[in-house]
Amino acid sequence: MLLYFIKRLLMLIPVLFFVSVLVFLIMRVFSPDPATIVLGQAATLEKAEAWREQMGLNKPIVEQYLEYMYNALHGDFGVSYFSNTPVTSELLARLPATIELAVIAIIIASIVGVVFGIISAVKKNSIIDNFTMTTALIGVSMPVFWLGMILIIVFSGWLHLVPSGGRIDSLMKPYDGTGFYFYDTFMSGDWEAFFNALQHAALPAITLAGYSMAIITRMTRSSMLDVLHQDYIRTAKAKGLSAFSVIFKHAFRNALLPIITVIGLQFGSLLSGAVLTETVFAWPGIGAYSVQCILRSDFPVIQSVVLIVAFVFVMMNLIVDLLYAALDPRVKYSQESA
Amino acid sequence: MNISKTKLFAAAMAVVFAAAAVTDASAALSRKPQDNFIYASSNDPLGLDPALVDDNDSGKINCNIYESLLRFEDNNTNVQPQLAESYTVSDDGLTYTFKLRQGVTFHDGTPFNAEAVKFNIVRQLPENAVAKMSYAGLVYGDVAEVNVIDDYTISITLKKKSTPYLHNVAMMYAAPMVSPTALQKYGNNVSEHPCGTGPYKFVAWDRGQQTILTRYEDYWGEPGKTANLIFRPMPETSARVVALNNGEVDAIDGIDANVIPELEQAGNVILKSTGMSTQYMFFNCDPKKQSVTKDVRVRRAIAQAINVPEMVQSLYKGYDTPATTFLPKVIPGYSDKVKPVSYDPEAAKKAFAELGVKHLSIITYSGARIYNTVGGQVIAEAVQGYLNQAGVDVDVLVYDWATYKNKLITDDFDLGFMGWNGDNGDPDNFLSLMASDDPINNQGMWFNQEYRDLVEQGTAIPDGPERNAIYEKAEMVMAEDVGILPISHPTILAATRPNITGFSIHPIGLTFMRNVVKQ
Repeated sequence: MLLYFIKRLLMLIPVLFFVSVLVFLIMRVFSPDPATIVLGQAATLEKAEAWREQMGLNKPIVEQYLEYMYNALHGDFGVSYFSNTPVTSELLARLPATIELAVIAIIIASIVGVVFGIISAVKKNSIIDNFTMTTALIGVSMPVFWLGMILIIVFSGWLHLVPSGGRIDSLMKPYDGTGFYFYDTFMSGDWEAFFNALQHAALPAITLAGYSMAIITRMTRSSMLDVLHQDYIRTAKAKGLSAFSVIFKHAFRNALLPIITVIGLQFGSLLSGAVLTETVFAWPGIGAYSVQCILRSDFPVIQSVVLIVAFVFVMMNLIVDLLYAALDPRVKYSQESA
Repeated sequence: MNISKTKLFAAAMAVVFAAAAVTDASAALSRKPQDNFIYASSNDPLGLDPALVDDNDSGKINCNIYESLLRFEDNNTNVQPQLAESYTVSDDGLTYTFKLRQGVTFHDGTPFNAEAVKFNIVRQLPENAVAKMSYAGLVYGDVAEVNVIDDYTISITLKKKSTPYLHNVAMMYAAPMVSPTALQKYGNNVSEHPCGTGPYKFVAWDRGQQTILTRYEDYWGEPGKTANLIFRPMPETSARVVALNNGEVDAIDGIDANVIPELEQAGNVILKSTGMSTQYMFFNCDPKKQSVTKDVRVRRAIAQAINVPEMVQSLYKGYDTPATTFLPKVIPGYSDKVKPVSYDPEAAKKAFAELGVKHLSIITYSGARIYNTVGGQVIAEAVQGYLNQAGVDVDVLVYDWATYKNKLITDDFDLGFMGWNGDNGDPDNFLSLMASDDPINNQGMWFNQEYRDLVEQGTAIPDGPERNAIYEKAEMVMAEDVGILPISHPTILAATRPNITGFSIHPIGLTFMRNVVKQ
């Protein structure tokens, strides 16, 4: 088990290596030269050239890459071309916001998705099933930014229930903490701020959860339907077990593997930046920020963001695989099978 | 299994915890609503070191933290003393001697004196400036010598006469005075630790979320009226509108004509300020490139084909004014005697047929810019429509802004769109662009020797009627030779809650908030 875990962690190295080469090449070859926009309207060809020289963009690409990797391995991911501040501080300031939102969204999506998926499967072809599946279809198809705007207009603009954007009221922001506002305000007992943060998170979390919720509902339904047709379910029913016991102990546990996989992958994509949601709700995370950086060719930032995202996905896959072993006694990561 | 999971989680958390920036200052700030003026615009600042940024979003914050030797008057760009109480100019026009205000301290307690001024200038002289200091050249490029005469007197000698110099010294980029102590402490970059002499001092910059300033109690002048200023980036216009209507924020900017009725209906106050910028179309005249617009007859025919006032009225709903010259009306040297080529579709059609021009290619950008709220594609398509009516087939190529800026240098095209935001209110700041050999500034590489001579002459003559006459002449030369087609001067729109007084947007786009009161 431990050996398997270590092996998987070691596999991270080639993955991150290839990702770093790929993103480095894509940025350098296909992205517009940042020099003319970094310097704003005061730019001149001469100044742009001086800037490129200073940033090392005139060096051969291999040399640039090796320099980048050397610095990165020493913990220096470069300085943002636009803000002149280290990429690490730019990203670390934004990462907690993205993680917090993704966690809330995945909790909502998993609970609602699994519950409705089970109901749909059990009451197959009933009105509830049709209703759930139609809602899920809408959830998958609805553009996130549109849903976000509608929620803002209705719940913030008309009903005044929640704020229209941001993470917390300006002066309630907890400073001496982790950057995770729910945790910080909870620990310091600042309930006013805690509920304020909750109000702020409500709409973006629901918006973000929408798509994943729909996917999880559909996956739960089809996985449950598979299992419900198995012989052992018939046997369990024949034994006279209660419906609850049949559904949850016999069916759901066996249907869980694909559901866990899909939740894990969804969580990975939520973490990698809820680009549109963050933009619509002025949520200060890495999603909206990285798009801004792509549009203005801020190479050092994008390279780091892509590496983080690759890391998150590899780790999510690993966690999902480890969960398999916990859930399914048939799966064992022994030395031989791994 | 469980233990390893917990450990993994703990390790992941530890990484993030360690990095969370710790600032304690905001704990003491008043949470009372009337003590906090909240201003939402579309972007976070790029940084808070005035030497290292050139974006308006940074400028709007920086102008409350920092001050320069001179300042612009409240509603125009005439200069007034600020950190300098007075100045004299030597007879040869090369040496400026500034008498500095006494008893001024930076927010970190460092005294403001002649050495501090020198420190700020030397930091940005050509031999010391880093490439990112994009305005250092404009403000300090001509400086030959800086001499500290006594604690409160400094003299600056230029290499050549420069009338715009006094305007440059009042700018919010490069010119503001930063605490030398802070610059030394933070490695010549105070982006995250701004420290000036202005009415508000820095508290916190939470990226993508807010920048908080609080009143500087030891300010030399009349202190700020509201205790705290909070700047919030909200990228979506409709979210900003809802936030203002709900009273979550006190003022917003970056709005377009479409949302004005909704804002007015909710009882907000709309502020209009004539922006000091010009949107224009340029013609490719670069001898190294392929284009038919090198011929002035083609340029004139294109200008005749486009009904600029009608186009501007319909695209900007009457908020932006049609341009007749490159200089906006608020800038000295503007003259209504300069007449652009007038709209004459029949003449255009005839000229195109005679010259054999059947096809033109337009290159443009996709998004909105401060001088073009509808975006580059929309304006390009409007022009395409007019040219089609004159019997010319037109291609429109649209790129994102960064790609567009690079394509302008490398690609062949006939027409393109650009705009210029005035930096300092001096006519040279506009007109010198089209006298430049640099394709980043003079995108069409239009070349006219008479125009260039006039612009060159203008920099050495003191402000006044004689200088204005030269610029009027230069603009006439430009109109006659159809160097560019001026399109519009934008109106900067902002809105505040009805309980806000004392808020305004300066024509150069800055927001000085010392007099803002929230009832």
